[in-house]
Amino acid sequence: MDELPQLLLGGLKLGAIYSLAALGLVVIHKATKTVNFAHGALIMLGAYFGFFLLQLFGLPYALVYVLAPLGVGAVAIGAERILLRRLRRSDAFSGVVSTIFISVALTEMIRIGYSTELMSIRNVWPGAPWLIGNLVITPETLWVLSGALGCALAGALLFSTSRLGRAMRAMAANMRGAQLCGYSVDLVYAEAWFLGGVLAGLAGLFLAPAMGITPELANITIVPAFVAAVIGGFDSVRGALLGGILLGIVEVLSAAYLSSAGKSALTFTILLAVLLWRPEGLFPEARVRNV
Amino acid sequence: MCDREIVLRCLKTLAPALTVAAITIASLAANTYVQYVVSLCLVAAIVGGSLVLIVGLTRVIMLASGAVMAVGAYLSTILLQQYGMPYPASVLAAGAAGAFVGLIVGIPASRFRGHQLAMATLVFQFVIIIGLREWSSVTGGAAGLHVPPVEIFGHRFATDRDYLALIGAVTALVVAVLGVIVTGQFGKVLRAITATEVGAEAFGINVTGFRLAAFVISSMVIAGAGALLAPRVRILDPASFGFESSILMLAYPIVGGMGSIWGGILGGGILRALPELLRGGAEYQDLIYAALVILVMTFFPGGFVGALARAFAVRPAPAPTMRLSPAALARPPSVEPPPRADSAAPALEIVGLAANFGALRAVDDVSLRVDAGVIHGLIGPNGAGKTTLFNIVSGFVTPAGGTVRLFGRDVIGEPPRRRLRSGMTRTFQQVCLFAPLSCVDNVILGLGRTSIRRTLCASVEETFGSAAYRRRKEAALAALDAVGLVHRAQDSVLSLSLGDQRRLEVARAIASNPRLVLLDEPVSGVSHEEQAKILALLRRINAERAISMFVIEHNIHFIRQLCTRLSVMASGRILADGSPEIVIRDAAVRKIYFGESWQAT
Repeated sequence: MDELPQLLLGGLKLGAIYSLAALGLVVIHKATKTVNFAHGALIMLGAYFGFFLLQLFGLPYALVYVLAPLGVGAVAIGAERILLRRLRRSDAFSGVVSTIFISVALTEMIRIGYSTELMSIRNVWPGAPWLIGNLVITPETLWVLSGALGCALAGALLFSTSRLGRAMRAMAANMRGAQLCGYSVDLVYAEAWFLGGVLAGLAGLFLAPAMGITPELANITIVPAFVAAVIGGFDSVRGALLGGILLGIVEVLSAAYLSSAGKSALTFTILLAVLLWRPEGLFPEARVRNV
Repeated sequence: MCDREIVLRCLKTLAPALTVAAITIASLAANTYVQYVVSLCLVAAIVGGSLVLIVGLTRVIMLASGAVMAVGAYLSTILLQQYGMPYPASVLAAGAAGAFVGLIVGIPASRFRGHQLAMATLVFQFVIIIGLREWSSVTGGAAGLHVPPVEIFGHRFATDRDYLALIGAVTALVVAVLGVIVTGQFGKVLRAITATEVGAEAFGINVTGFRLAAFVISSMVIAGAGALLAPRVRILDPASFGFESSILMLAYPIVGGMGSIWGGILGGGILRALPELLRGGAEYQDLIYAALVILVMTFFPGGFVGALARAFAVRPAPAPTMRLSPAALARPPSVEPPPRADSAAPALEIVGLAANFGALRAVDDVSLRVDAGVIHGLIGPNGAGKTTLFNIVSGFVTPAGGTVRLFGRDVIGEPPRRRLRSGMTRTFQQVCLFAPLSCVDNVILGLGRTSIRRTLCASVEETFGSAAYRRRKEAALAALDAVGLVHRAQDSVLSLSLGDQRRLEVARAIASNPRLVLLDEPVSGVSHEEQAKILALLRRINAERAISMFVIEHNIHFIRQLCTRLSVMASGRILADGSPEIVIRDAAVRKIYFGESWQAT
């Protein structure tokens, strides 16, 4: 049991990234009622954009952390403007289905360019680890943990308190009503996709040094992002944050004490259990019944 | 209905199967490579056709097709190889396993909506592939499983031609069955559910059950298709049934067209052939595939079939709104009032009913009686609780207390779909018609008797124009005739004016010859001229068919002419009850309803 604190720390680190990923999913769903199956692809793009800017253009990390997420946000807006907006007029179902194929298209575009190599980028904060008792903390862990959690909290705050957040929530509650109050659907949807894309891009950046950069990131990350969001209730910002942390810890512990397959099986069991017994999630937001 | 019409419909329903047979026969003469590709496309056509049921008609994002196919392929191969089961039996066993799997994945369908169900299928997909990879003693793990050649009744299938003949025959058969299910009443019920769950539930359709049935049938067919494909591909490995394959299959009905069996089989057949056509640019395959799907969704929302239909459509001249002629209204009753056995019991008896929404008491200790045979009106200001009362009586809202008796039988706690059997139907304040269906099909579903088993039988009856189907259709046409819409029988609901849509709701509500109909604002938004006609119509239906009516309406002029007894609700309570003239003159009613002060009266 000596390694337990160490594992918990690893779980927290992974969980913070999952929170960030799930939060983007929730923001998009909450504001636009679209489940974004392309979220994994956006996360993967974040990692690749980081690689391009860092390795190819030689930009400093501080700038990369600003530009790469903005780039992913731009891609998300592009997808919304060019494709989803058109489909939204026919029906919601087509919009959701199209995100699946947008995901395939984005992943394949990257795969065609960089098919074989597994690429990596350097750590943000290289350096000797600190020892606290038996606990080994690398500067990188500290950076990811605090950075991802910080970004997730900032995103959550932005969504919950700002005018933009209020517009998105109004749109989700009653689109007609929000329109009548002067909110523009097109603008709010674009903002939501942008915010979701930025959060996904950040998740990809935080993930990249540890996981390596491959097109597979799209498929690897979409499931935990979904599971974390479902655990939280899919419409709850707070739930997405807690769900991500919970999932990260469960994954790391089960990988250590069970096996890799055991980890996947446990993840899916949790998802199914939550869906069956608490479809509103473990941390739902207070709901006011519409009379 | 003449014989020619029956033959035409039968041909139309079976045309996809005949096309499959024709393509198979034509390809038997081609070279072995073409025969191989056509075999793969035929299996994909089966998958596409079955996905029309869940993706197209039920609107579920199915992400587990690959896993379900794997279940069928692996199971049949293991039964074949290790237990020496004959091939046809192993395919049937695979189908049974698929049905079971569909049940497991679909049971959550009763509770999940939209994305949650999509995620449940996603979970299943990953679990099955992990299982296949890990359980290597049985499945061969990542290395795969060798499939022995097929032998049926001593004939060994060895050449591409043999397999093509086998797969073609099975495909034609399966597509024929799917065509009957999708085109017939089963498919129509699924469309109705997707259009309006509330409307479907109110007319006796078990929404959850049908969703589950669609899942079970689809999964059964997909697993069977897996077993059919297994000997053709010779080696089974988990990777070829992965998440990517499920996404490719999801595209079949979307690209082909989600509304018909043609869409599924065309989508499957064409998309499965695409990689073979794109052999040169293997690395661009998936990108081209995804781009194609997105393009089709954006520019041809109805898929290939929708685009073809639009290209060859003959635009019919807009049908005139036929008015009920005075002669038709004055016509003597065409049917004898049906004998009502227990006419002694009141049609509806409500005692001490209460319902809350949070802190709001919407219905507060309401007691009310609607006598058999009468038209009973209910008025009251907005927010009085009238529609809530209707929703309780029809089962959509569970009351906090009190009893509701329909013809003497307590119905509290029964789901809305049981009301039809108790002899009660309703219309809705906001029209709740089955928009994708024709008028006559709307009314046919209003006849009830839509259990899953009966509906499957009805699909077959419809295809072959049996006497049972003709009786149903005649009953529906009679109901349409009663409201003056028989000339619009084949038209789409969306082409009707609001007044005609309200009439169609009445036709659907009276088709099953219920004993009580609840009408929620039957003339709201309807022109003055039209109101008089609906008034005459309702009175005639009440007299001719001996149907009691309980009517919510804001139009005082209309309701006082229509009903023989009137109740007034305000703030969840019954304020007055009695003959319309007396109730309307009541001082308290005037104050609450017309805003007149006490002094003015």
